[in-house]
Amino acid sequence: MSNVDVDTGTVRVERTFEASAEAVFDAWTNPEVLRRWWKADPSHEVTIPVLDLRVGGGYRLEMRRPEGGEDMIVHGTYREISRPDRLVYSWEWEGAGPNANHESEVAVTFVEDEPGRTTVVIEHAGLLNDESRANHARGWNGVLDSFAGSGIPR
Amino acid sequence: MANSQAATLDRSFVAVAHPLRREILERLARHEELTVGEATHDFPISKPAISKHLKVLEEAGAIVRVIDGRTHRLRLNGESLEDAYAWLARQRELWERKLDVVEEYLREQQRAAGTPNTPRTEDRA
Repeated sequence: MSNVDVDTGTVRVERTFEASAEAVFDAWTNPEVLRRWWKADPSHEVTIPVLDLRVGGGYRLEMRRPEGGEDMIVHGTYREISRPDRLVYSWEWEGAGPNANHESEVAVTFVEDEPGRTTVVIEHAGLLNDESRANHARGWNGVLDSFAGSGIPR
Repeated sequence: MANSQAATLDRSFVAVAHPLRREILERLARHEELTVGEATHDFPISKPAISKHLKVLEEAGAIVRVIDGRTHRLRLNGESLEDAYAWLARQRELWERKLDVVEEYLREQQRAAGTPNTPRTEDRA
């Protein structure tokens, strides 16, 4: 289950795992998992020059494409670490993306619904830059719904 | 993301960052084509102010203006705003992908441990 709220620039994703909350939390914060994350294409070279898992500590992920082009770089700071329930960190793209150098926040909640079954909810908030967010109380969904109604593929 | 594409997205976000500009877009979304007067006649602002808003929308590629003699007709150009939406959707896909990796990693861990540490209840997911 997932959705995108364009009014607030929030992305929400949810999934249930057959594992304990501790196991999922540890996997989430494991550098090996982080390194694999961007390897949808095995040729991608991923480096993690910084990974300091404590409140106030930082991380940095650098993704290099073998064919060249701009590296994808993201960095942030851990804001809350409550193993195995919750993890909050800032998230900031570098480079030339639409929200480059704009800080957003990722909150990951781990709920063990029953022993050995854990639901993870990711809420990535504040993805839109300040100027657009300030005026996003209404409008986007209406516009997009209208687009959908007008037959423009989404 | 290429610079030019990023710049286009920035302009898209700016384009919708004003209630009157969103109103224009919504009206154009409901009608295939409107004259400037039809789209903005009830706005409580001056004509130069309206022109300014239309210019922002045009520069963002959100609308196109068709000049027919003295009549200026406006049309929605849906793609640019769709790009902004698509960018947000892409952020969601990145998280989905991370969840895939976590899932795969947990399975490996469980296999390495010899037996799954939990009953198999995959059909319920």
